[in-house]
Amino acid sequence: MDLSKYAALFLAESREHLSSCNQHLLEWERDPAAIEPVAGLFRAIHTIKGMAATMGYDGVSTLSHRTENLLDAVRAGRVAVTPGLIQLLFGAIDGITAAVGRAAAGQYEAAPDDAALIQALDHVAEAPFDVTATAELAAVRDTGRHVSVRIRPDAQVRGGRAMLAIRRAEALGAVSDVRPGIGAFERDDFDGRFSFRFTGAAVSSELEQAVRGAGDIDQVVISDGAAEKMQGRAVIRRQIRIDLGRLDALMKQVGELVVARNRLVDLAAGRDDPGLGETADQISRLVGELQSEVLQARMNPVAEVFDRFPRVVRDLARDLGKQARFEAEGGDIELDRAVLDEIGDPLLHLIRNAVDHGLETPDERVARGKPPEGKVVVSAARERNSVILRVADDGRGIDRTAVLARARRDGLVDASVETLSDDMLLRVLARPGFSTAGVVSGVSGRGVGVDVAMTRARALGGTLTVTASEGAGVVFALRVPLTLAIVRALLAGVGNERYAVPIAYVAETVDFNLKSVTAVRDRQALVVRNQAIPTVHLRDLVGTPGEPPGRRPGVILEVGNRKAALIVDRLLGQQDIVVEPFEAPRGMPTFFGGATILADGAPALILDAAALV
Amino acid sequence: MGHTVLVCDDAIFMRTMISDILTQAGFEVVGEAESGVQAVDKYHQLKPDLVTMDIVMPDMGGIDAVRAICKVDPDAKILMCSAMGQQALVVEAIQAGAKDFVVKPFQPSRVLEAVQRVLG
Repeated sequence: MDLSKYAALFLAESREHLSSCNQHLLEWERDPAAIEPVAGLFRAIHTIKGMAATMGYDGVSTLSHRTENLLDAVRAGRVAVTPGLIQLLFGAIDGITAAVGRAAAGQYEAAPDDAALIQALDHVAEAPFDVTATAELAAVRDTGRHVSVRIRPDAQVRGGRAMLAIRRAEALGAVSDVRPGIGAFERDDFDGRFSFRFTGAAVSSELEQAVRGAGDIDQVVISDGAAEKMQGRAVIRRQIRIDLGRLDALMKQVGELVVARNRLVDLAAGRDDPGLGETADQISRLVGELQSEVLQARMNPVAEVFDRFPRVVRDLARDLGKQARFEAEGGDIELDRAVLDEIGDPLLHLIRNAVDHGLETPDERVARGKPPEGKVVVSAARERNSVILRVADDGRGIDRTAVLARARRDGLVDASVETLSDDMLLRVLARPGFSTAGVVSGVSGRGVGVDVAMTRARALGGTLTVTASEGAGVVFALRVPLTLAIVRALLAGVGNERYAVPIAYVAETVDFNLKSVTAVRDRQALVVRNQAIPTVHLRDLVGTPGEPPGRRPGVILEVGNRKAALIVDRLLGQQDIVVEPFEAPRGMPTFFGGATILADGAPALILDAAALV
Repeated sequence: MGHTVLVCDDAIFMRTMISDILTQAGFEVVGEAESGVQAVDKYHQLKPDLVTMDIVMPDMGGIDAVRAICKVDPDAKILMCSAMGQQALVVEAIQAGAKDFVVKPFQPSRVLEAVQRVLG
């Protein structure tokens, strides 16, 4: 049997499973008593093993087999759940991920590096039964009981009693989810009421006796937690897998259909034939619906990208000796597959920046009156035809005075500039190599990632903005279009050529005449409602011969907070254009972002607004 | 036969008081320590059934002493002696391995209750 046609399927599916493995492990790390993560991990690894064995990917199947063995030992109660075990399993997932990558590249056998990992997995799986581990093991099989306790109100040092109760419960099984938390026990205003989740073999009377043994205990209530855990709801969606190439091909076909439709509508409008007009309208509507269905089929939730980040934040914080919590919001917001594939990198850079340079060390945070654990929140929100992806941290923020001083020294801003606006700040930060040239507290290293994120945002026809306040964190907002495939454009002509300007960047159109022109720092600028906007003459840019008409329109482009007035010969209305993949020929100016076929069948170049302002 | 006790406190006054309470209840005070370092040394030397440990002592505090002792003997029965307002330290001591605590000023009955819980 020819297995090669299954390779892509294997790759896609195993990557999904590996991503879920990381999720399960993170969950497990937070709550070692939970059983769902173990079950989920086991299933995912088992599936990967089966697929890899079928494909003959020995490297992948060997590693997943050994990982499965270890998980089996954990489930059977032969291996204790410890931070070391979880770290080892993270390592195993990384190993399998690497092996999958190698298999995709045609190397099916195990890599020499795998030997050490396999040895470690085997060693732990076969370790002799450890008695102290029994309690934790029981926890893995048990869904847990909820225990709520009240300490006598007249007792002294109630937090100490609470801590003793926890320790005594821990001697019988695993304790998790302590509320209001051990930190609260240390405060003098702790009122003596707390609860926790207990998982273990001890019967409830035994547990109650142990808790009461802490002394000064007024009340202990133990309830079975199994029922509450069963209430998680499952949403079943009927789905099939489609190769992305097929969707691309379909999209291209629909794109051509749209062009043909536009042409048909154009032609029908020129003839007085009610039958033709009606049919053209009907086809126009049907094609529109088909187009939106195909676009919808290409949409995927941003959670697919967000799912990679918890692990990144955890590992990075661990390496840097920081505490960081990752939160994702709006994971169900959908984006075109092509856009989705491009946003992972820039977001990753911004997240790394947030953890590395934004978040303070736990000591620093406590000294500033913040909780020791920092927070990185990634969110997605839909706004008209675009999606805004934000990376926010609650770290030290950016020291504007220091950045300004550096920017002045490097000649990036005028000496007269007193304060940096958010927009100017971003432009300074995004200068390649800005940060590496010297160390400025709170700024070092920021530049590289911002540079990458900015470049990518522009390549996608999006924008990047920053909001920073000293001491209270930074928010980067990456705005990207919902889809790259179809955009609404304003058509503009110079000479005999037509160009498309994505409508998303058109703020307004104005009349251009020489009376309303002024000069700002030797550059021509157009005055619109008392604001001087630098002009860009499309004729000059593309080298159109001949004289321009006397009265011409100007298209005010707006990207972020920056504006430019694009001066053209004439405006030719709006149109939905299908963006064709664009491989710029050598020597092609950078202000073209793609090409398209217009309604009348003629090709036109698409202007990249971000490159013009 | 009475249980053996090691009493650790930097104040002679407190050591005497605790020793009296425990001796009268039938315990045998086999040693005293006035610093954390001494407490750890004497614990390993005397292997007492019970230790009373002051939280604040010179030359390694009581909590570090608990850690050092429990590292070698996790089952060590250590009773912390704390003053009012040391809640956070008490919680820390228990996390370090102390088995119970009493709050100064001592009432003999409270001390003996705590000792019973620890040894029980």
